[in-house]
Amino acid sequence: MADKRSKRFEILENRPVHQDGFIGEWVDVGLIAMDSPNDPKPSVVVRDGLIVEMDGRPRKEFDMIEQFVADYCIDRSVAQEAMSKSSLELARMLVDISVPTKEVRRLFSGLTPAKMADVIGQMNIVEIMMAMQKMRARQTPGNQAHITSATDNPIMLCADAAEGALRGFMEEETTVAVARYAALNAISLLVGSQTGRPGVLTQDALEEAFELQIGMQGLTSYAETVSVYGTESVFVDGDDTPWSKAFLASAYASRGIKMRFTSGTGSEVQMGAAEGRSMLYLEARCIMVTKGAGVQGLQNGSISCIGVPGAVPSGLRAVAGENLITMIYGLEVASGNDQTFSHSDMRRTARTIPQMFSGADFIFSGYSGVPNKDNMFAGSNWDIEDVDDYLTLQRDFRVDGGLNPVTEDEVVACRNKAARALQAVYDELGFPAISDEEIEAATYGHSSSDMPPRNIPEDLKAAERVMTEMINGIDIIKALSKRGFREEAEALVRMMKQHVSGDYLQTSAWVDREGGVWSAVNDPNSYQGPGTGYSMSEERWNQLKNVPWAIRAEDV
Amino acid sequence: MINEELVRKVIAEVLQEVGASENVGAASVAARQSVTAVKAGISMEMTEKERATRGTDAREVVVAIPPAFGTEFDATIVDVSLADVLRQVFAGIEEQGLSWRLVRVYHTADVAFIAHQAAKLSGSGVGIGIISRGTTVIHQRDLAPLNNLELFPQSPLLDLETFRAIGRNAGMYAKGEQPVPVATKNDPMARPKFQGIAALLHNKEVKALDRSKSPMELQVRFR
Repeated sequence: MADKRSKRFEILENRPVHQDGFIGEWVDVGLIAMDSPNDPKPSVVVRDGLIVEMDGRPRKEFDMIEQFVADYCIDRSVAQEAMSKSSLELARMLVDISVPTKEVRRLFSGLTPAKMADVIGQMNIVEIMMAMQKMRARQTPGNQAHITSATDNPIMLCADAAEGALRGFMEEETTVAVARYAALNAISLLVGSQTGRPGVLTQDALEEAFELQIGMQGLTSYAETVSVYGTESVFVDGDDTPWSKAFLASAYASRGIKMRFTSGTGSEVQMGAAEGRSMLYLEARCIMVTKGAGVQGLQNGSISCIGVPGAVPSGLRAVAGENLITMIYGLEVASGNDQTFSHSDMRRTARTIPQMFSGADFIFSGYSGVPNKDNMFAGSNWDIEDVDDYLTLQRDFRVDGGLNPVTEDEVVACRNKAARALQAVYDELGFPAISDEEIEAATYGHSSSDMPPRNIPEDLKAAERVMTEMINGIDIIKALSKRGFREEAEALVRMMKQHVSGDYLQTSAWVDREGGVWSAVNDPNSYQGPGTGYSMSEERWNQLKNVPWAIRAEDV
Repeated sequence: MINEELVRKVIAEVLQEVGASENVGAASVAARQSVTAVKAGISMEMTEKERATRGTDAREVVVAIPPAFGTEFDATIVDVSLADVLRQVFAGIEEQGLSWRLVRVYHTADVAFIAHQAAKLSGSGVGIGIISRGTTVIHQRDLAPLNNLELFPQSPLLDLETFRAIGRNAGMYAKGEQPVPVATKNDPMARPKFQGIAALLHNKEVKALDRSKSPMELQVRFR
């Protein structure tokens, strides 16, 4: 480069976007978002009700993903009809408001992975958004939060869970800084969420066997970190197969725990085994494994690998495309947006718009309800410090992004109550005491660094007791009830009932404050063009437009 | 900022290897028998010995590394010398009055499984797995592979002080103590900066695997 630099370029190089890692496509290892020259060409041959050839490969050469998809996902009765249509024609059906959703689903259930990826390849980003608005399973959009702590501080976690619930998150997930803290984090989320807004579902993202165990103890109500992959070698590396994942899914269902799979573009190349295929093609296979396993939903939208599609051309379009494929199958989608991928506020916002403006079952699979330095999922694309911007976007565009404007007094009261409820639970269970000083700090604090330190080895012993003594949801209910936290105890009883009735195992289910279940069954998406589909009630719009910091005209 | 030159270098090297991959096998294994990594003043020489067996010494911690560690790679994703990394981990273990053994795992580049393999070979049942870009796990024999004692997933944040503390804590677990876990660092911007290059590095790590080869004892000398 010349010794004398252009001032324009020097300034541009110091913009936040230049801190992001961008890389060129590298087709051989699958560092390509869509349309890899190594992707198979779409084809299908059905003989005697069996798929004997798919995407150019005869049945005897199928890998295990292809076998699973061919036998359990693809509807053989429509496969040949569907595959005979051009990808362009199919893409147009996705955006055409006069073609009913039901007809699209019927036909698309006959497509192969390569054809599905090819159809999405015909669409621009606005068309993908139009199709999302039409195809998503549930009518009412929602949002989900990450609630974690860099020090696994139980009181801060509980207060943050309460605030998140008050702010409108329908689901809250936690994970750990130190794995052995996991059981205590689950209890903090359970108590906090039900204090903030009864009915919020919570999960504890950890190792799969632990997640199932803690769910069976009634300390969590859903799970979503059951990963599936698009290549056989990555599946095998994780000691798994599509069949073992399907088995695990049925274990969750049989114990009344809501569950969705997790996948997303970029994971196979991140793990060094994409076999040269494009990220979207491999993700189409993951989504079809999910459908074939009979699971109600999928967390995708690249998730923790977002830096990979985010680094290559057309990557964020592919990410929106994978959300759309999930919706096409009528699956619940928790649509990503939950991991940091850019230093640029413009890119961060742009990545969110397709899901936020079109609506999704969960626009984020984890909006950080805590400051990102406390986010043990390694940071979310948006965090609590961005929340007023988010509320403003809802107001600017009259879009329901699932969050509520709240006042400082409400938040302080709710955090305080949650922390006191946890203090009572710890006391009743004989766990290390929670002091009034800690309650005060959690009530008014912003991050875990505002908290006095805990005796971590002592807390870890309590966490171990939860698992060895099988402390469960009923024990928490008893403790709350005995100490006068009656509303919280009742909310928890309703959550425990869900483990028995399993109403919330329906696709895209969430639970309202009275314990009512809303899902794709009783709240199906009815979009068919302007004037149809989800529209905010007058009450909801009044709530969203009244952000507390707006000047009221009548006061001037 | 990601060093574009480094990215290009890695791509070029891997492409070159792909081109020559047909007859890599024996030659590259032989070449790997003795390697020297030089960085930041100290270097190490690793010599492969016999097949690794399960230890009987209850006062040892096994440290396991993948094939590209110290051979293809001499530094972590943030250019911390791998020789220094090992030296600090070993020093941390020794500080606790314990001994260490170094093992090279050939069949997987997944840090959870590498660490679990280390724990299974360890006389104390406690092991440490470290992959070339720095990601590290402290594991215990009787835990599920994807469970662990301590996990350090954000490789760009791992400095030598942290590696020393990891060795120290592993030593304490091996003695049956309950140490305060090494303070977790968290940089939400690590992914935007490093994920692309981490993918490149991992692809390179995976290319060095030999899925049919058993874990081997390594002798290491620092200079």
